[in-house]
Amino acid sequence: MKTSKKLRTMLLTGTAALLLMSTVACGSGEKDAAEPEKVTLNIMHPWTSPNVDNEVYKERIAEFEKQHPDIIIKQDGVAATEYKTKLRTLAAANNLSDINVVWPGADLAPLVAGDLLMPLDDLMDNWKDILPEDALSGFNQKGSQFAVPTKQTFVDIIYYNKEMFAGVGYDQFPATYDEFIDAVKKLKEAGITPISLGNKEKWPLQSSFLSIIGDRYVGSDFLQKILNKEAKFTDPEYVKAIAVIDELSKLGAFNTDANNMDSVQGQDYFIQGKAAMHISSSTVDGRIRINNEEGDKFGIALFPSVPGGSGDPVKSAGVVQYGISIKKGLSDEKKAAAEEFIKFFVNEDLYKDLISKGVVVPANVEIPEDASPYLKEMLELTNKGTAPVFDSVIPTQVTDVMQNGLQALTIGRGTPEELAQEVQEAFDSMK
Amino acid sequence: MHTLKHTKWAIFLGLAPALIIYICIAIFPIGLSVYYSLMNWDGITPMRFIGLDNFVDIFKDDIFWLSVKNNIIIMFTGIAGQIPLGLLLALLLNRGLKGSSFFRTIGFLPVVISSVMVSLIWGMVYNTEYGMLNNLLGVLGLESWQQNWLGDPFWSMISISIAYIWQNCGLYMIILLAALQNIPDEVNEAAALDGATGLSRIMRITIPMIRGTLLVSVVYSISNSFRVFDLIQIMTGGGPAHATEVMTVYMYNNSFMNMRFGYGSAVSVLILLFSLIVITIVNRLAREKE
Repeated sequence: MKTSKKLRTMLLTGTAALLLMSTVACGSGEKDAAEPEKVTLNIMHPWTSPNVDNEVYKERIAEFEKQHPDIIIKQDGVAATEYKTKLRTLAAANNLSDINVVWPGADLAPLVAGDLLMPLDDLMDNWKDILPEDALSGFNQKGSQFAVPTKQTFVDIIYYNKEMFAGVGYDQFPATYDEFIDAVKKLKEAGITPISLGNKEKWPLQSSFLSIIGDRYVGSDFLQKILNKEAKFTDPEYVKAIAVIDELSKLGAFNTDANNMDSVQGQDYFIQGKAAMHISSSTVDGRIRINNEEGDKFGIALFPSVPGGSGDPVKSAGVVQYGISIKKGLSDEKKAAAEEFIKFFVNEDLYKDLISKGVVVPANVEIPEDASPYLKEMLELTNKGTAPVFDSVIPTQVTDVMQNGLQALTIGRGTPEELAQEVQEAFDSMK
Repeated sequence: MHTLKHTKWAIFLGLAPALIIYICIAIFPIGLSVYYSLMNWDGITPMRFIGLDNFVDIFKDDIFWLSVKNNIIIMFTGIAGQIPLGLLLALLLNRGLKGSSFFRTIGFLPVVISSVMVSLIWGMVYNTEYGMLNNLLGVLGLESWQQNWLGDPFWSMISISIAYIWQNCGLYMIILLAALQNIPDEVNEAAALDGATGLSRIMRITIPMIRGTLLVSVVYSISNSFRVFDLIQIMTGGGPAHATEVMTVYMYNNSFMNMRFGYGSAVSVLILLFSLIVITIVNRLAREKE
């Protein structure tokens, strides 16, 4: 009896709580409807980490809100590593935000195929003076423009510790692959981890390494040829590119816990002077050199030329990033507000702000005199031609097989030939 | 019986809210998953019916079988680790030691903290360079025992199993402790009079008395092991090279990373089937013994 009474009290309390909750919910619903009409725009973006460019973007949003009191911007900041997954999931549920930050090429394709984004062709006059054709092409599909890029990222910058390289007899960064391997061996002998790698998220080996190594061996049109079925991953020259990862792994070039560290930990490892090289994006220069008091310890370089490679050894693998796009099917007021936003957000001032913080932009804007010398060095290094980034060309599910396979090579599983075979099969079996 | 007859509708009415919620958030999505599993669907473009092709592809994929194997490892290590450890802790606490409620809270704490925290904590313990485990081994002069705990394909699954056992054994401790406290004092006293003490009392009196609860714990541990996801996703992400991938991680990667929602749904249907099969077998075995 005693327990049943207790139970009854509990049930009653529970029901009361439930009722209360539903009334509260109703109440808030009515309130919303009564608000005067202000347009609310939802924006989803990956600008949560304390990177220099993220600060610029957020300031820009704040500035827009100040100038447009009738438009409310609701931000949904998602950590960069989770961002693409969330974008895809929301796209699948047809539940995208009004404004989305998107990636070009293979990442954009499903969104366009699903007819989820609004073509921006009518607005493009706005940027015709500052954005060159090749900055826009990544976001141009089926003859329409779907997003406007904000920054240019080179994914394959080799940051190296000048002192450590000098210590093994290299005052300059090695210019050929043989010298590069020689340096790796000497660093290893000297008890220094040659390359710091944070490959837990699996994309670094694919994006920062294979994109450019592949380009050195087979040139910049190879990945597109694969898509057109004119070439295969199993072509011997491309297998050689994959084999570089295998060779580096066998030489012990990476830190032992490479597969348990994420990309940021990989950077830290290098910045703390525990490794002689780190290969990552140009944006990371903000952390490594521009905002680092000891930044002059580090130099930048590109992957060296490879024997018999048909690629151009001065090219850097780059991609335009953070395209601002508008969701299709917005109401007229929202559409007007969104267009207003995109015109304000992506303009010359944004690019200038970014440059002054040391970020490479895809636009033709003058580089201010006070720009960081590191940025000038970066521009110098990367302005001799752009190679494609693997995952911006190759479809996601094939990229996934490649990434996992590269990770397997680092722990001595599989061979480059087998991996090439697997990736080709994954590509052929795509439906 | 008589009273029940008249209140049939009242009973139904009482059950209805729970039933409706259950149908909406469990039965309906499961049905939907079965439906999606027959489709080729990237989530965005219209789906296409492809019959059992997804299942055929899954069965042909070595990585899927690797993930099944890892699930089985988690299942066995889970049962073999969590329940005996939980029982041991419960027996200790049941002795009425000083501060037992304090230890009960401590023991239950890992169950309460979020899996994300657990994963991060264990990630730090296992870290190769500054991790607690390797440091401890170093201090003890056992440098040769130091390992890349999560990065080595051999050790990674073992390391994860240990974290998994640590995370959940408190739950079984509480369940079994409740069962122990339900054993009537008369039984224990009678056993004591007959001279059953120590281990023999535990084996012959205590365990048979809580057999039902133990069985429930085993079933629960199995179904839990098929659902393990967050721990692995955060500690290793299924890597290195799929070495720690379980079915749920495989499903997540395929549906949300590779945009193959039909395929992912098919995997989730298989997870359901597998766990039902294993649980049925366990129930059968237990019943046969009775």
